[in-house]
Amino acid sequence: MTIGRVTQRMMTAGSLDHLQRNLGTLSRTQERLSTGRQINRPSDDPTGTTSAMRLRSSAASQAQYSRNAQDGIGWLTQADAALDSATSTVKRARDLALQGASAPATGPGAREALAVEVDQLRAQLISQANTTYLERPVFGGVTSGDKAYDATGAYVGTVGDVNRRIADGITVKVDVDGPAAFGTGATSAFAELDALSTALRAGDKAGITAGIAALNNRIDTITTARTAAGVRYQRLELADQSASDAFLALGNQLGTIENADLTKTTVDLKMQEVAYQAALAATSRVIQPSLLDFLR
Amino acid sequence: MAGSFGSIGTALSALRYQQVALDVAGNNIANATTEGYARRRVVGESLGPVTPAMWSRTDGHGSGVGVGEVRRMVDPLLDTRVRREHASLSYLQTTQTVLARVEEGIGEPGDAGVYAAMLNFRSSWQDLSLNPNGDAARQQVLGSAATLAQALRLQTSNVANEEGDQRVHAQTVVRQVNDAAAAVARLNQTILVNDQNGLDSGVLKDERDQMVLKLAELSGATTVVQSDGQYDVSISGYALVDGNRAGALAVSTGITATGAADGLPVTFRIDAPWGSTAIVGNPGGELGGVTELLTTTLPGYRAGLDAVAADLASSFNSQHAAGFDRSGAAGGAFFSYNPAVGAASLTVAITDPALVAASSVNGGARDGNNADALSDIGGHLDSYQRLVNGFGSTVAALGRQTANQRALAGSLDSSWEQQAGVNLDEETVNMVQAQRAYEAAARLMTTIDQVLDTLINRTGLVGR
Repeated sequence: MTIGRVTQRMMTAGSLDHLQRNLGTLSRTQERLSTGRQINRPSDDPTGTTSAMRLRSSAASQAQYSRNAQDGIGWLTQADAALDSATSTVKRARDLALQGASAPATGPGAREALAVEVDQLRAQLISQANTTYLERPVFGGVTSGDKAYDATGAYVGTVGDVNRRIADGITVKVDVDGPAAFGTGATSAFAELDALSTALRAGDKAGITAGIAALNNRIDTITTARTAAGVRYQRLELADQSASDAFLALGNQLGTIENADLTKTTVDLKMQEVAYQAALAATSRVIQPSLLDFLR
Repeated sequence: MAGSFGSIGTALSALRYQQVALDVAGNNIANATTEGYARRRVVGESLGPVTPAMWSRTDGHGSGVGVGEVRRMVDPLLDTRVRREHASLSYLQTTQTVLARVEEGIGEPGDAGVYAAMLNFRSSWQDLSLNPNGDAARQQVLGSAATLAQALRLQTSNVANEEGDQRVHAQTVVRQVNDAAAAVARLNQTILVNDQNGLDSGVLKDERDQMVLKLAELSGATTVVQSDGQYDVSISGYALVDGNRAGALAVSTGITATGAADGLPVTFRIDAPWGSTAIVGNPGGELGGVTELLTTTLPGYRAGLDAVAADLASSFNSQHAAGFDRSGAAGGAFFSYNPAVGAASLTVAITDPALVAASSVNGGARDGNNADALSDIGGHLDSYQRLVNGFGSTVAALGRQTANQRALAGSLDSSWEQQAGVNLDEETVNMVQAQRAYEAAARLMTTIDQVLDTLINRTGLVGR
C-alpha cells in the first residue's frame, strides 16, 4: 500500500486495529495457558482433533481390553486352583485304591474305612468342581445356575464358551469345560469314585484294579485341562501387559496433540505481552503530536 | 484602468473568500472524527476584469477571487470498491460468528461431548459382557445409552435453536434493508433538488454514502451513480432503489411471519412500485450469510447428526434383536428413532435392565457374546468423527478467509481515509494560510485607503 496522505483518523484506526489484533493473540495464548490445552475447539486444529478423537477411542478400547484380560485372569486363576486341588483329591483316591488292592491282609473293616474316605473324597471333588468366580461356576459354562455338578455328580452346567475380548478381533475362552475335565454321566470322575468305593466295600479286586486305571486316566485328563487353561492364562497376561502399555503410550500421544506445551506457551505469552506493551507505548506517542503543538 | 474604488472590491472579494476558506477549514476540523465525513476543499476561481458594456474595453488585470465550489474529496470508483469488499467481509463475518458459536457447543475434543458418550457406551457393553447377568452392568448400559442419546439430542437442539435465531435475524436484516433503501430514495430526491437550486448538499451526500455502504453490508447491494447524481441500488442485479422510488425487500419462502421454518429454502423478493420481482440466488452481505447458514450449512450439520443417530439406532436395534434378554426371550428394539424427526427423536426404548439382550444363546444362559458384539458395532464413531472434522475445517477455513478479507477491507478503508479523511496538520496550514491572506487583503484595503487619502486630502495643496 502506498501512502500518499496520512490523516489522524487513519493512524488512530490503524493503531486500534493493531492493538486489537495483539490483544486477540494474547487472549488466545491466555486461553491455551488457562485450559492447558492446545485444541479447545475443532477449528483450532481439525486434523489434530481427528487424531485426538481416534486416540481417545483407542485408549478407551485398550483400557477395556486390559480390564477384560484381568477379569479373565481371575477366572482362570480360580479354575487353575480348583484343578490343582482336584488333582490331589483324585491322587489321594488312587492311593487309597492301591492300599485296598495291594494289602492282602486287608479285612472288611479296613476296606470299609477306605471306602468311606473315598466317598468323602468324591464329595470333596464335587465341591471342587463347583468352584465359583464372582458367583459363577468356572466349570459350568454359561449356566445361569450356581453349580456345575449336582450332589449326585450329574453335570448341570450349560456347555458354552465364556469369552473375553482381549484385543481387536481376538477373544479368549476363560472358563474350563467341566465335562472335559471331570467327564459326564457314567464316565465322570464321580461315577468312577462311586464304582471304586463299591468295589472296596465288596473286596472286588478286579473292580479295584479297573478303578485305579480309571483314576490314572482321570489324573491325565485333569492335568491336560489344567495345561490348556495355563496356556490361556499366559495369553491373557501378555494381552493385559500389552494393553496397559498401549494405553500409556496412547495417553502420551494424546497429550502431545491436545495439551499445550506450558513452557512454550508461557514464553509466547510473555513475548506477546511485551509486544502489546510496545504497541501501546508507540500508539500513545504517535497519536499525540500535531502541528498545533509547534504554532504559537 | 479600473475605477478608483475597483481595488477595494478586489480586497473585499479576497476577505470574503478567505472567510469561506476559514469556515471550511473549521468545519473540516470539527468533523475530523466524524464517521463517513469526507473532507471539503474550497476551490477558488480568479475573477476576470469586468467588461461594463458591449464594445467597451477595460484594461484591468482581474477583479479578485470567488468561491468556485466547495468540493467533497471523494472518489466514486474507490467508494464502489469499499462497498463491494465490505459486503464480502460482512458475509464472511456473519457466517463465521454463527458457526463459531455452534462449534463452542459441540465440545469436542473433550470428556463431556458426544464422542466421549459414545466411548462410554461402548465400554459399558464390554463391562456387561464380563458380567452378563449383573443388574449393575445392565443398568450401566441403559444409563450410558441414555447419556449418549441425550448428548446427541442436545447438540441437535443447539443447532436447531441457532437456526431459529438466524431466521429472526434474517427478518431483522430485511427490515433494516428496507429502512435504508427508503432513506436512500428520500436523499436522492433532496440532493437532486438542492443541487438544482445551488444549495450545498455535502452533508446529505455523506449521509447517502453511509446508507448505501450499510445496504452493501446488509445485503450485498450494488450502487450505480446516474448521470443526474442519483444513486440506483440493486440486490443481485434486481433494482431496489430507482431514483426517488424505493422497493421493499421481503422474505418469499423459508421463513414464516412468526420466524418459524416452513420447510422451503429461504428466498426473497422485492415488492416495488414497478412490480414484484423474485430474487434468484443468494444475496450477499449479512443477509447472504444468514441465507447460506439457513439453507446449507446448519441443515447440513444437522443432517450429519441425524445420519449418526439413524446409524446408531439401526445397527444397535438389529444386533440387539439377534440376542436374548435375561429371561431368554429375543431382544427387542434398543433405541427408538423416528427418521422423519431425526436425531432429536433418539431415545432408549428399554427401561427394564432385564430386557437388555446380552446373551447370544437362548434359554437365559449367562452368556455375554451379544453384548461383546454390540460393543463393536456400527460406523457411528467414524461418521461422527468425520462430521466434527468437516465442521471444524469449515470454521477454520472461514476464520482464515475472514482474516484476509478484513485485511483487504481495512486497506481499502485506509485508502478512503487517505482520499477523504481530515488531516489536522493540513487544516492548520490552510487556516494559517487563510489568516495570512485575510491580513494581507485587509492591508490592501488600508493601502488603498491611504492612496485615496493622498489623492483627496494632499493633492492640490501647492502654494497654500
